[in-house]
Amino acid sequence: MATDYRYPGSVEEAIECLEAGEGAAWVIAGGTDVLPDIRKGAIAPQCLVDVTRIPELRRIEIGEDLVTVGATVTFAVIRGHPFLTEHVHALVEAARSVGAGPIQNVATWVGNIVQGMPAADGAVVAIALDAEACIVDRDGARWQAVESLFAGPGVSTVDPTRQIVTAIRFPRPDARTGTAWRRVGRRSALVLPILNCAVRVELAGEGDAGPGAGVEDGRIADVAIALGPVAPVPFRARKAEGFLRGRAPRREILEQGAQIARDEANPRTSAMRASRGYRLEVLPVLVTDALATAVGRGGGPSPQPSPSGERGTRGSLLRRGQVEQND
Amino acid sequence: MGLVEQDSNNWNLVYAENDGVMIVSFILNEQPTRVDVDPSRPLLDVLRDDLGLTGTKQGCDHEGECGACTVLLDGMAVRSCLTPVGKVAGRRVVTIEGLGEPDALHPLQQAFIELGAVQCGYCTPGMLLAAKALLDRDPHPTQERIREALAGNLCRCTGYRRIVEAVDVAAARMRGERKRPAPEDGLEGYGKPVIGGDAVRADSVDKVTGRARFVEDLKMPQMAHVRVVRSPHHHARLVALDTARAERLEGVICVLTAADIPGENGLGDYSRDEPVLTPIGETVRMRGAPVTLVVATSPERAQAGAEAVEAVYEPLPHVFEVEEALAEDAYPIYEGGNVLVSEGEAHGDLDAAFDGSDVTLETTYRTTWQEHAALEREALLGTFDEADRLTVVGGTHEPHWQQGYIAAALALDPEQVRVIMPPTGGSFGGKQDPWPFVATALAAFHARRPVRLAYSRGESFQASPKRHPYRVRYRVGARADGRLTGVRVRVDANTGGYDGHGQYIANYALTASGGPYRYQAVDAAAQSVYTNGPKAGQFRGFGTPQSIFALECTLDELAQQLGEDPLELRLKNAIHQSSISFLGYPVAESLGYREVLEAIRPRYRDFLEEAAGFNAASEARWLRKGIGFSGMWYRFGKSGSLRVEAHAGLREDGHFVVYCSAPDYGQGANTTMAQMAAETLGVPRDRVEVVNADTGHTPDSGIQGASRATYFVGGAVCRAAQRLRQEILATAAEMLDCPPSDLALHADRVAIPRPTGLSSVSLADVAAEFNRIGKSRRVPGVFDLSPLFPEESRPEYVPLFVTGAQVAEVIVDVRTGQVEVPRMAAAHDVGRAINPIDARGQIEGAVVMGMGTALMEEYIPGASAGLGDYYMPTAMSMPDIEVTLVEVPSFEGPFGAKGLGEAAIVPSAPAIINAVSRAIGTRIRSLPATPERVLARLAEDD
Repeated sequence: MATDYRYPGSVEEAIECLEAGEGAAWVIAGGTDVLPDIRKGAIAPQCLVDVTRIPELRRIEIGEDLVTVGATVTFAVIRGHPFLTEHVHALVEAARSVGAGPIQNVATWVGNIVQGMPAADGAVVAIALDAEACIVDRDGARWQAVESLFAGPGVSTVDPTRQIVTAIRFPRPDARTGTAWRRVGRRSALVLPILNCAVRVELAGEGDAGPGAGVEDGRIADVAIALGPVAPVPFRARKAEGFLRGRAPRREILEQGAQIARDEANPRTSAMRASRGYRLEVLPVLVTDALATAVGRGGGPSPQPSPSGERGTRGSLLRRGQVEQND
Repeated sequence: MGLVEQDSNNWNLVYAENDGVMIVSFILNEQPTRVDVDPSRPLLDVLRDDLGLTGTKQGCDHEGECGACTVLLDGMAVRSCLTPVGKVAGRRVVTIEGLGEPDALHPLQQAFIELGAVQCGYCTPGMLLAAKALLDRDPHPTQERIREALAGNLCRCTGYRRIVEAVDVAAARMRGERKRPAPEDGLEGYGKPVIGGDAVRADSVDKVTGRARFVEDLKMPQMAHVRVVRSPHHHARLVALDTARAERLEGVICVLTAADIPGENGLGDYSRDEPVLTPIGETVRMRGAPVTLVVATSPERAQAGAEAVEAVYEPLPHVFEVEEALAEDAYPIYEGGNVLVSEGEAHGDLDAAFDGSDVTLETTYRTTWQEHAALEREALLGTFDEADRLTVVGGTHEPHWQQGYIAAALALDPEQVRVIMPPTGGSFGGKQDPWPFVATALAAFHARRPVRLAYSRGESFQASPKRHPYRVRYRVGARADGRLTGVRVRVDANTGGYDGHGQYIANYALTASGGPYRYQAVDAAAQSVYTNGPKAGQFRGFGTPQSIFALECTLDELAQQLGEDPLELRLKNAIHQSSISFLGYPVAESLGYREVLEAIRPRYRDFLEEAAGFNAASEARWLRKGIGFSGMWYRFGKSGSLRVEAHAGLREDGHFVVYCSAPDYGQGANTTMAQMAAETLGVPRDRVEVVNADTGHTPDSGIQGASRATYFVGGAVCRAAQRLRQEILATAAEMLDCPPSDLALHADRVAIPRPTGLSSVSLADVAAEFNRIGKSRRVPGVFDLSPLFPEESRPEYVPLFVTGAQVAEVIVDVRTGQVEVPRMAAAHDVGRAINPIDARGQIEGAVVMGMGTALMEEYIPGASAGLGDYYMPTAMSMPDIEVTLVEVPSFEGPFGAKGLGEAAIVPSAPAIINAVSRAIGTRIRSLPATPERVLARLAEDD
């Protein structure tokens, strides 16, 4: 059965195409997940609605308070973006972890999220950034927390036959906020993670409002720890976050926080990747490393030789063992 | 008609719709192109099937896991298997066919050829385009950037080093710099004579331009497609089979079961218990065992037919591990029990040897199933040639053997069957399996038309042979001074559900288990054990790497216990050529093991020193460096006759042709044979063409396995060339009226060295003279070792051995168990490097494959489904590899050459594992050393 292929010029047109398809039209961006799904017979769209030529969806906007990333922004674009590279390390590092270069050239952050997988690199980093997604359908547009879009392994609450996520936005990190990314895999590229981890740490400073208000300077005003795959959906270690908030970012405190994250995580054994036991064992290592790096990036003391968050290339273990100069 | 219009920012596609088929317009290799297609089809399929651009390859069932299908979309490298063709509307696509022409190569193509970055060629188009995308964006890439840009493209042959190097060299040239390849690239031979010199591969131009035609690139009129119905059970009785529904489906030409096999339902002596198709009432002994073939007019219809075949099974208990299969109450997989074959070797007084030891050590080592994962899956074409012979075209190691298996199964005379080897995208032993040949022949025989059998990647994982997993148990003794006393070894090799040459593996396991060392007493035994795992078969090193892994790790443990240096321990115990070996008799060829150990020692010392410095100085105390050493021996050359034939011919145009059967699936045999013939004839290599591995044209040169091509077939080629040279000189002497000894053979003529106007005759004229006087222009040459080994005293396997040693440097993160291999050094005795670039390339590729064995690769029966969950090294994990070619000339081989291709993988895994064990202070005894296994060992040791 042949398929119709549409290039709507606007979000409105795209919604019209979906409406006309009556459940058999499907949004496609990079296509790196859609095509395998078609091949496997998981989906059988009669029309593909390609949103990659809608100009407004290609933008990255750096606002005063918010960073907004359009739906068709690819991981390659994220990797090359100057502001993100300098200020949102975890996102750039996560983008670099997705598959390999030719995948990153077309795969989008939004697509990675709406696939609904619990260890999707883009999803895990999004929930660490407290990101929201703009969901558009015939009833209009609304912003919804990315974390609320997951309904189970591989199941998204976003309906690609009816809805379009047009953008992701998250609070613009200030000078006292650091983010970091860690990942363990069976090899150093082109592989799904055994475990991945994104953190965001905001250190308290003078004149803080919001989460930092009332917290002693230099202490942890706010923190997010996101992990995958340790639950049916991308997971926020809220108990660990609660423990860390308000405390000084000393090495042993970060380690204690990481242990709490371990206790609240519930990973599964995967024959092809790693056992539950192994995942639980390395989880605190990843979380501690990531927290320490993020604290350093947020202008706090670097409680250990601060590792880089690059995914493992040969020599990356070595680099991670060295003090970084330019974070 | 379809149009793409772009008005500033807004794209509008206008399609002519016609039954859902649309017209997609785009720029393909600079040419405006329009296709009428379902726009959701992958660009890859449209390029290959609709547009006939077959340079773009498919290796992973369209899962985006291999990179062979990489093309450029608006200058970006993308996976064409994941790109719906609708997406390219209005955009620019570049495929390998658009990169450069044979007479106007892109600098990348040129560099790939020169540096030996092309072996089988199947990953090459994708690699080149990924590299082009990088250089277009970044003309000054670092090595790190190059490796990352290529990390999505798997290569199974080269080990990536030459590819990365070639991109670096091409980048420099494109910047206008004159960059000479580094000496370690093996190009020091440029300008030298043919052997050991400038040996750019003859077939590389076709491979870098996408012109090489692999089987799936061949189309025949009326071609039908074969799908295989396979057992979903690991062990079951086939109770009933109903093909009626499948036969009625549209497009289904025939459905074949065991009853349709006119001859022997088997694979001859290759696999003595394996039916081509399991008959009703018989047992399937592994998942994926073939039951029925469906032949239909399209792959989709064949698939539908396969799904419509109704097979009823009665499941039986299954086991995967040899311990379970050997248990007293184990379910017998075969009536005779679960041991296929046993071998033993004992000499000397073992008790006395152990009694006289200062140290004895007992160890148990385990290895696992490994998948060849050649980038080209099994793909064959069955057809009828101009003489109406049933002809099968496919990658193999032994076309004449396939001819025999097919003839036996179809009850034909071998003369009625022809087997042709096309360009083949890697094998590593995997394509030695005759099953696909017999199945393809059977399908063509019944369908009476051309057929294609192409495995999916998932099918290849399920049904192709694997490397035998071993359990190896040692007891070794030594004196305090490091001299070995006695060894007792027991090897259990898991042959899976079928023989598949497991009948021979026990002998290889046993032979390898002693290594090139001297013992007072030996008690060795090995057996091949049936389980319901995948059938195991040939895999680079055939039975040797697993035993050597266990041996060399055990020796490392012993060295540690004795406080001895691992290399010196080996040297102290290394045999000489004339020593009594582990097998109880001396080896039959020159042995360069001591030279190898001496050659690698300086690098080993450097590695050790640097690691000690690192571990003392590192701020990150959780990162530990370890250095591991391994030696090895490998018995090459057996698995075929001691007498091998090849032919050399003089064409009417004065060029030369070599006829032999030394299949080239990427390792470079075509080039090596041409080199040796050219050197022997005394002409430039481009005067020699090689016709290889076609039973319709070439003599049976025996199986191409056990690294025997250069030594055996090369020996025959040289003798044929020598004889042809004599014949030419004799005839030319008549023509020039002078004694043959006065004449010299040049590229295109025979001349008297001090030429005058009448003193030479062209080779074309000599060929015409041959014709005139009725002399054959094609002469045979025979390489025969049998006189050296009189039958009454000949061991079952002639003891030809090569040796080598490798050193690995690893860094282990002891918190996560992750291991990196920054550097390896390798020294191998090659006898004589016929083609130094290729010799180095073989070693580099083997080292990286061995790294996969050591750290990543693990096939899990019933679970491993394809390249997405089977982890092979990428360019990111490639170590720096320092190669030393040690040349201790062989006594009998051409120009002193020995076998190499398989030997080089043997010491890699033990060197790496010894390094890991030394880094973490406790022993890894199972493969692969995944992060999880490393951490578990650390935890056990706490």
